[in-house]
Amino acid sequence: MSVFTCLLMGFLVLCAVAVSLSKNLLNSILIYMSFSLVMSIIWVILESPDLAITEAAVGAGVTSLLFFVTLKKIHAIDEKEKRKKNEQKKD
Amino acid sequence: MSRKKTEQEYEKTFACHFFRWLSGENDLYVGQMEMRPQEVYKESEEEAKKRQREKNILLNKIYGRKKSKSIKYLELFYRLASILFCGILIYLLLLTVSWLPPIGVADRPVNNEVSKRYIEKGLEETGAVNIVSGMILDYRAFDTLGESHVLFVATVTVLIMLRLDKKHNNGTDLSIEEAEANDRNYEPKNDAILQMSAYVLVPAIIIFGIYVILNGHLGPGGGFSGGAIIGAGLILYLNAFGFQKTERFFTEKTYKWISFGSLSFYCIAKSYSFYTGANHIESIIPKGTPGAILSSGLILPLNIAVGLVVACTMYAFYAMFRKGGF
Amino acid sequence: MFEWIRFMTGTVFLAIGIVIFAIELYGAFHYDYVLNRMHMAAFGDTFGIGISLVGLMLINGLDFTTLKMMLVILFLWCASPVSSHLIARLEAATNEKLEEHMEVEKE
Repeated sequence: MSVFTCLLMGFLVLCAVAVSLSKNLLNSILIYMSFSLVMSIIWVILESPDLAITEAAVGAGVTSLLFFVTLKKIHAIDEKEKRKKNEQKKD
Repeated sequence: MSRKKTEQEYEKTFACHFFRWLSGENDLYVGQMEMRPQEVYKESEEEAKKRQREKNILLNKIYGRKKSKSIKYLELFYRLASILFCGILIYLLLLTVSWLPPIGVADRPVNNEVSKRYIEKGLEETGAVNIVSGMILDYRAFDTLGESHVLFVATVTVLIMLRLDKKHNNGTDLSIEEAEANDRNYEPKNDAILQMSAYVLVPAIIIFGIYVILNGHLGPGGGFSGGAIIGAGLILYLNAFGFQKTERFFTEKTYKWISFGSLSFYCIAKSYSFYTGANHIESIIPKGTPGAILSSGLILPLNIAVGLVVACTMYAFYAMFRKGGF
Repeated sequence: MFEWIRFMTGTVFLAIGIVIFAIELYGAFHYDYVLNRMHMAAFGDTFGIGISLVGLMLINGLDFTTLKMMLVILFLWCASPVSSHLIARLEAATNEKLEEHMEVEKE
């Protein structure tokens, strides 16, 4: 295993921990996206380009897009801004 | 000799916080996530009575429970039969598992024969240069059929949950047009720069997706990845030009017929291939020379079918999430 | 000699790209306001990636891979500025207190 692979693996673990510990849902989706991208590079290193293409298209593209739309639908993004505005008003 | 810490000092250390978090005393998320915990639903007595009454009315009027006793027996039989069915299913699955050889035995067929045969005879038997494609669409084609059906079932579930009906709109829900307007509230509509770049990019993306699908048996790629790329291109087109333009070529009917056609084609083609292969009947589909674009028998059409299903499903998911319909 | 000069220029280009990425990362976390952060991210996305890919092309030499890298640059230069433009437009359309952050021309 080369140094590059080790670095990527470490980043993978870091991302996986950060997704579950992040307090903002939007941030965790973004971190999940980067997790998928790193995973697709690792698939290329492991010599399975088929999986790499699928991971990049599905994991980083479509899945996170659907997550974003869902967050918009349940107003998780708006709520945060509203709360911020309320806090500013209180101050 | 180690220095002893006082209790107050210990409470400030990282280890204390960590072990507390582990044992669940101090939840990290309470009050700090933007999600509020769900309030416990309390039903008042009047509401409970009302609900019970409505349930009784429903049972009596629609199912006619009072009038006929046979329906009651049918209900009982239905429950018993479902329990029995589940039990038999569990028994059969456990029986099959008990017949499998234990894990790690050296002379298991998976450990020596299967992979050897795939690698040595894969090119000869399937005609595909890309050995992965030959495996998933020839030897293990039923798995891929199951994958396509899983996608289809997922879309059907999303359709049931998120669909807004055009005709039976009882005033409380939004209609499709209102839902779309509500959804695209803050979105920049008809952006000239985005439309220009979509003009350039969308054909390139879709052509790349078609290339990936058609080269599935020659190089890396295949139906699933190519379909996902085409679906992403369609989503970009939708975001640039809005639902009115996409409705000209992609409606609910298109989705229905494309998925039905591809899945049934997959079923029939694979059944034919398994029938002729298992019974050693001569197949009329030529294998072709390995490496040519028209080669490897059924793999190319099967790739195209899977790609169509996946592309339509990706687009349908997105459209359904955005406005509850196509 | 020529090979050596080519390799050195490629390495220099790559080093410039890495420095630009470092600047981008610092800027994206240094600023608070959306448009400033977006500007830094777009800067890295276009200039940094472009210059590092030019360095890689120089190291690789004329090849089919070089053509593919040029296509990657083209694609990124199409896609990345458009996405930053959309973010900026959304911010300008939704933020009510735009005057606090910048001068706004009144029509």
